[in-house]
Amino acid sequence: MPGRGRCPDCGSTELVEDSHYSQSQLVCSDCGCVVTEGVLTTTFSDEGNLREVTYSRSTGENEQVSRSQQRGLRRVRDLCRVLQLPPTFEDTAVAYYQQAYRHSGIRAARLQKKEVLVGCCVLITCRQHNWPLTMGAICTLLYADLDVFSSIYMQIVKLLGLDVPSLCLAELVKTYCSSFKLFQASPSVPAKYVEDKEKMLSRTLQLVELANETWLVTGRHPLPVITAATFLAWQSLQPADRLSCSLARFCKLANVDLPYPASSRLQELLAVLLRMAEQLAWLRVLRLDRRSVVKHIGDLLQHRHSLVRLAFRDGTAEVETRGKEPPRICPAPPVSTVTGDENISDSEIEQYLRTPQEVRDFQRAQAARQAATSVPNPP
Amino acid sequence: MASAPRPERVPRLLAGCLPLTRPTPTVGLVSMEQEETYLELYLDQCAAQDDLAPPRSPLFNPVAPYGMYILNASNLDTALNSNPEVKEASGDFSSVDLSFLPDEVTQENKDQPVISSRHETEENSESQSPQSRLPSLSEQDIGLGLNSSSLSNSHSQLHPGDTDSVQPSPEKPNSDSLSLASITPMTPMTPVSECCGIVPQLQNIVSTVNLACKLDLKKIALHAKNAEYNPKRFAAVIMRIREPRTTALIFSSGKMVCTGAKSEEQSRLAARKYARVVQKLGFPARFLDFKIQNMVGSCDVRFPIRLEGLVLTHQQFSSYEPELFPGLIYRMVKPRIVLLIFVSGKVVLTGAKERSEIYEAFENIYPILKGFKKA
Repeated sequence: MPGRGRCPDCGSTELVEDSHYSQSQLVCSDCGCVVTEGVLTTTFSDEGNLREVTYSRSTGENEQVSRSQQRGLRRVRDLCRVLQLPPTFEDTAVAYYQQAYRHSGIRAARLQKKEVLVGCCVLITCRQHNWPLTMGAICTLLYADLDVFSSIYMQIVKLLGLDVPSLCLAELVKTYCSSFKLFQASPSVPAKYVEDKEKMLSRTLQLVELANETWLVTGRHPLPVITAATFLAWQSLQPADRLSCSLARFCKLANVDLPYPASSRLQELLAVLLRMAEQLAWLRVLRLDRRSVVKHIGDLLQHRHSLVRLAFRDGTAEVETRGKEPPRICPAPPVSTVTGDENISDSEIEQYLRTPQEVRDFQRAQAARQAATSVPNPP
Repeated sequence: MASAPRPERVPRLLAGCLPLTRPTPTVGLVSMEQEETYLELYLDQCAAQDDLAPPRSPLFNPVAPYGMYILNASNLDTALNSNPEVKEASGDFSSVDLSFLPDEVTQENKDQPVISSRHETEENSESQSPQSRLPSLSEQDIGLGLNSSSLSNSHSQLHPGDTDSVQPSPEKPNSDSLSLASITPMTPMTPVSECCGIVPQLQNIVSTVNLACKLDLKKIALHAKNAEYNPKRFAAVIMRIREPRTTALIFSSGKMVCTGAKSEEQSRLAARKYARVVQKLGFPARFLDFKIQNMVGSCDVRFPIRLEGLVLTHQQFSSYEPELFPGLIYRMVKPRIVLLIFVSGKVVLTGAKERSEIYEAFENIYPILKGFKKA
């Protein structure tokens, strides 16, 4: 800039005012020589006018990562590694945790809540990538109660305004089925019980799809349905040898926990298969029951689309007619003639009050009970 | 079913005033703009000739029993528009100047012809290109679609024998209902709904009242038979009465919460009875600021619902976690009601301060649920 002087090194007049870490300097734009420097600190008199700022009003809170937040972020990363999730999931989960931590309600929450929050962030990340992680699995890993988990999960989804897709059933089937220890012979698993993984997976998937179509999955926990479907698929692949094995025994030798509703899901699935079998002429004559239908699951699944349509087109119609009252008028609501301003008779109120004699008896009984509980155990 | 337009159902008013080049129209060859034109012109005619009741009655015949239309002015518009014969003539009216009409009217009418021509296109196998987009439009708007399906149902119901006999009868009531519909507000006071008359039943009412005096809870628990008081567990007396069957929480500050009543009046009566009991125990209890805080209703739509589909399309309002709870939690914005929707078709509505909010919420949700009904 003209009139500002010349650079002592190269003699150019192109001097630029620039700041180096908030210290203003005059720099030559040709050779980079620093001509003059600004003042680095305030003068003593200036500092005298400064006022104290409390920590809560400064930006320190936002810039620093508190110890509990650091701990939480470490827990998130550890959890992702334990679950062997892909590395991108870790970053997303950490980002969600940080985002949640910015809300004062979360910052001030109890430690137990922050622990569960770790699980929630990981779960949301998995759901968004269609990774089949159940809430039950997370709760077992965190040693948390499902109710506590559910309340914090709902709260955080609402707080962060997230769009969390539902659990991907197909993926869950694949991971859950693969965890069954039936694909290799072992001391606990005899040879006739060993099954090929691919065949079992594909058949289980078809059975789960069938269950989904026939209203067995909506509103229910997904896992017991998959357990029941896996069992049926396994049985149907070699019915001669395996019909004798029960669901409980099956889960035991496969080294998988048997969820409680699985047996009722199994019965429901068998009922659906029986209804489908009714539509096939060559099966109708066999008069199948819940055990013998297992032998024909392969055929039923092969034609499942048309069979379901046939079986439940008539089926739902009959359910509807059974459910409706013949004249399709809704019953009128009971008309209450209460106005809210009626007279309240004294006798009605008196029935709720104790007579003086009753009051005395009650007080005596209470005192006796107090005395009994306060006396220590008799020697 | 083929709908050969019946000449006698052509409004005589239209036939007289508007030039028709083709007496037997082929329905379906008219464009949307022309339908709007007809409607507006027809409405002008109606407004100009208020005393002509007979020409209106044919319009009311094909639609549902007029009883349903008394209070709902929007249905009135639909009824006027749904007569297919209105859209008969060819494009003689493209030169008509519509600049004096407000924007909202034209906007509404753009929707209304969609409804009526939907059941037209259902009846006719061939449809021209301007109308080919109408079914998709109405399918997207489930609410209007529902309206049209109910209209077309009643249309087919009343067709067989009734046109001639019904024509003259609803004249007077129709003109009355017309004027009534034009002045009454839109929200019906009775919960008559287009959806087969399902009415949510109230199951629980929570109300609060201020007794305006400090209470000695120990004394109340001692002298009242129907009271329980456990200060270590909860700092209030829990009192119950048999008629109406309710429970009250009475606090030492004099505030009281009354729960369990099945109607607003019952809740008020019960609260008064509790106040009387407290009075009889010697406290100067009053009955101030009675307010209903929450109302819970429930009903059954009688068909199974695909909750997974509902959560996909209404993601911003719904929350469905089968691992946690078997029902879908739907948070409606207007009115501000939370609905619990179950796969069996049972619906629980809660969060209302007024009975009408529950009915309105159910009216809003029913068409959405019908969209997820699987036969």
